[in-house]
Amino acid sequence: MPQAGKGRLNYRCPACFIRELDIDMFYDKEKKEYYCLRCPFTGTEEEVLKLNEMAKFRYKAMMERITDFD
Amino acid sequence: MKDTFILNILHRPEMVPEYAEKVTGQGKKEDIGRKELLTESLDIFKLQQEIAHQHGLKTTIQMTYSSLFNDEAISLAKEHHEKYGDEISLTLLGLPCKEFREKYKTKDFCIWMFSMEDKKAIVRDVFEKFHDIFGFYPQSTGSYYMDAELINFIKQEYPSVKCAVATCWEEGPKAYRTCNNSWYTFMDGGPWNPWIPSKANSHAPATNEEEDSGIVAIPHLSRDLLACFDGNGSNFGTHPQNVLRGMIYKDGKYPYLYNLIDQYRHLAKYNRGYAYNMMFVGPGWMNKAGRWEAPYELLVQSYRDCMAYYAELRDKGELVDMTMAEFADWYRANKTYTQPECALWKDILYGSEKQLFWYCDPYYRTCVDMNQGGAIVDLRPYAAKLEIPVGIGTGNVHDASYPFLVQSMYRAGYFTHYAGEGSIKSCKVSYKGEEADLCLCRTKAKFSEEGNDRILTLDPVDIEFSDLTFKVTTRFIFSEGSSEIKISRIITDMSNPDAKVHINEYITACYGTTEYPEDMNGIVLRCRGKEEEKEIVYAYKCREESVKDAAAVEAVVPQVKTKMTVYPVKGTFEGYFREGYAFSPMFTLGLNTELSNNEEMITCLKLEKVD
Repeated sequence: MPQAGKGRLNYRCPACFIRELDIDMFYDKEKKEYYCLRCPFTGTEEEVLKLNEMAKFRYKAMMERITDFD
Repeated sequence: MKDTFILNILHRPEMVPEYAEKVTGQGKKEDIGRKELLTESLDIFKLQQEIAHQHGLKTTIQMTYSSLFNDEAISLAKEHHEKYGDEISLTLLGLPCKEFREKYKTKDFCIWMFSMEDKKAIVRDVFEKFHDIFGFYPQSTGSYYMDAELINFIKQEYPSVKCAVATCWEEGPKAYRTCNNSWYTFMDGGPWNPWIPSKANSHAPATNEEEDSGIVAIPHLSRDLLACFDGNGSNFGTHPQNVLRGMIYKDGKYPYLYNLIDQYRHLAKYNRGYAYNMMFVGPGWMNKAGRWEAPYELLVQSYRDCMAYYAELRDKGELVDMTMAEFADWYRANKTYTQPECALWKDILYGSEKQLFWYCDPYYRTCVDMNQGGAIVDLRPYAAKLEIPVGIGTGNVHDASYPFLVQSMYRAGYFTHYAGEGSIKSCKVSYKGEEADLCLCRTKAKFSEEGNDRILTLDPVDIEFSDLTFKVTTRFIFSEGSSEIKISRIITDMSNPDAKVHINEYITACYGTTEYPEDMNGIVLRCRGKEEEKEIVYAYKCREESVKDAAAVEAVVPQVKTKMTVYPVKGTFEGYFREGYAFSPMFTLGLNTELSNNEEMITCLKLEKVD
C-alpha cells in the first residue's frame, strides 16, 4: 500500500474535534477511508460529514440571530 | 460620549502564510520560496484589500518582513494608502521567507520567543528596511504577542510607533492542546479590548503616565468572552474562518458571527458608549485548497459577508472604521489610565442563559460567573505588574501568560473529584447543620454606575433548608483606581424572621499560568485580629488558624509578588485561613459572620504588589 495523502478536502478527525483537538486526517485510497493519526477513528467521507454535523449538538443557538444582549 | 463602535481591519501580505506551506504543501518537499506559494499568497492579500475597499472600509496594511522584498506588495501598499487612506504599517508576524532564514539561520517566527539580542536585531532590520522603502517609520506594529521588553525597545528606538497588536485573548494552554500540543502561543491573562500596556508587563495596563509604555495595544481579534474562556480561542472570534473552523455554521450561514459582532457593540453600554472590534485574517485562511472542511468559496464568502455587515453598520452610522494609528489617537483622547473595561457577556452560542462579567483595570482582571451565583472564577493581579521576560535566553522561552490567583477552569473551581478544593471565590450559607454554596445558585446580573463605581447587582437567589428559607442578594462594587472589589450580601425574606444565618465569605486560591500545580512553599498566610495575629508559611500541612473580630486575612504569594487581603467593611467577622495539602495545593482566606433578616454585610478583596 502506498503512503497516505490528503483527501478531497482536509478533514479533521470528528472524534478528536469533539474533544477540542484539531487533527488532520489522512486518506487511505485502498480502503477508501479517512483515518486519524492520534485516535483509532476511521470513516468514509460520508461518515465524517455526518459526524461533523453531530459535533454541533452543543451549539444550540448556532442558527439564531440574537438581538437582545441584556 | 455618543455610542462609538470602532473597527480596525488589518491585512498582511504574508508571502509564506502560516499553515499554507504545511497544509497545502503536504506531500511536497518544503520550499518556502515556491513561486506558486508567493503568488497565491499575494493574490489573497489583494482579494482581502479589494473586498474591504468595495465596501469603502479603510484598512491597516501590516507589511511583513517577506513582503518588503516584494515589489508588487510594496507598490500595492503605496497605491492603497494614496487611494483609500489605508495606513502602511509593519508587523512582526510573517517573518519566514528565504531572506530571513538565510540571514538569521532559524525557522523561528514568533518575535517574543527570540533572544533579546535577536529581537533587537530583527526590529532594527525590519524597521530600517521599511524606512528605506517608504521613507518613514511605521506608526503601528504587532505580533500575536508583544512582550514588554520588546515594546519598550521599539518605543525607544522608533518613537513614531503608537499602536501595536499585543496579545491574543486567552490563547494559552487551550490553544496549545487544540493544536495537538504544537502551537506555542502561551499568552493567557490579558485584556480582551484595547489598553495601554505598562512598561513592566504588556498584559497589565499602565496605572499612570510613569508606567505607560507609550503605545496603545489592541488584541488580535475580538473574541467570545464566554466560549473562549473554556474553549479553543481560535473558533470564536471576529475572524470568519475561525467561525468555520469551529464548525459554527450550516448551509453556508453563520449568524453566530454577526451575534458576536453585535455583542461587542453592546459593550458600549458598560463602557460609557465605547465599543471596539478588531479583524485580522492571515492569508493562509483563504487559500485555494480550502481550510479544513471549508472549501475556498465558503472561506471567501464568509469574508465578504463579514465586511458587508461592517459596512452596513457604518452606513447606518453605527460604526467608525479607523486605521490603527487613528485609533491610538482616539483612544488616548477618550480614555483615562484607570478607566476600566467592563463586559457583561451572555452566551450566544450554546443556548444557555449563562452570563459572565469581565472587569479589567490596571490593578486586576477578573471574571464573575452568574451561573455559579456570582463566584469569581478568574483573577489576575495586575497590581503586581510582574516583569516576566520571555524568549530564548531568559529561562522562559514560551510562557508569556499573566499569572492567575484564581482560575476555576484550570484549577477546578467548585467541583473537584473526590477530594481537595479548587480555586474560586464564593460564599457559603449555613443554618442548623445544613450548608449551601452560592456556586450552586444560578442567577443573572445587571450593571450600573455610580460615580466611579461599577456595580454588578445579581438577582436574588433562593436558599431552601429544611426549616428555613431565605433570599441572598449579592452586589459587586468595583471602585475605579482602588485595586479593590467590595462584595455586599443581604439576607431577606426569611421564613423565620428571628433566625440568624451563618455566612462564610471565602476565596480559595493558588497561582500559576497552566492547569498544573505550582510550588506553594513560601506563601505566607496571616490573620490579623484587633488583638492578635496568626501566621504560617505554607508547607502543605493542612493547618488552619482563625482570629475573632478580624481586621484582615491575607496571603502573600512571593512567586507572583502579590498580597491578597480580604477584610470587613460592614459587619463583625471571624477571620480564618486554611493551608492546603499535597492533593489540594490551594489556600483559603475567609471571613465568617452571622446575618439576620434584612441585614447586610460587606467585605473587600484587595490586591497589592509586594517585593
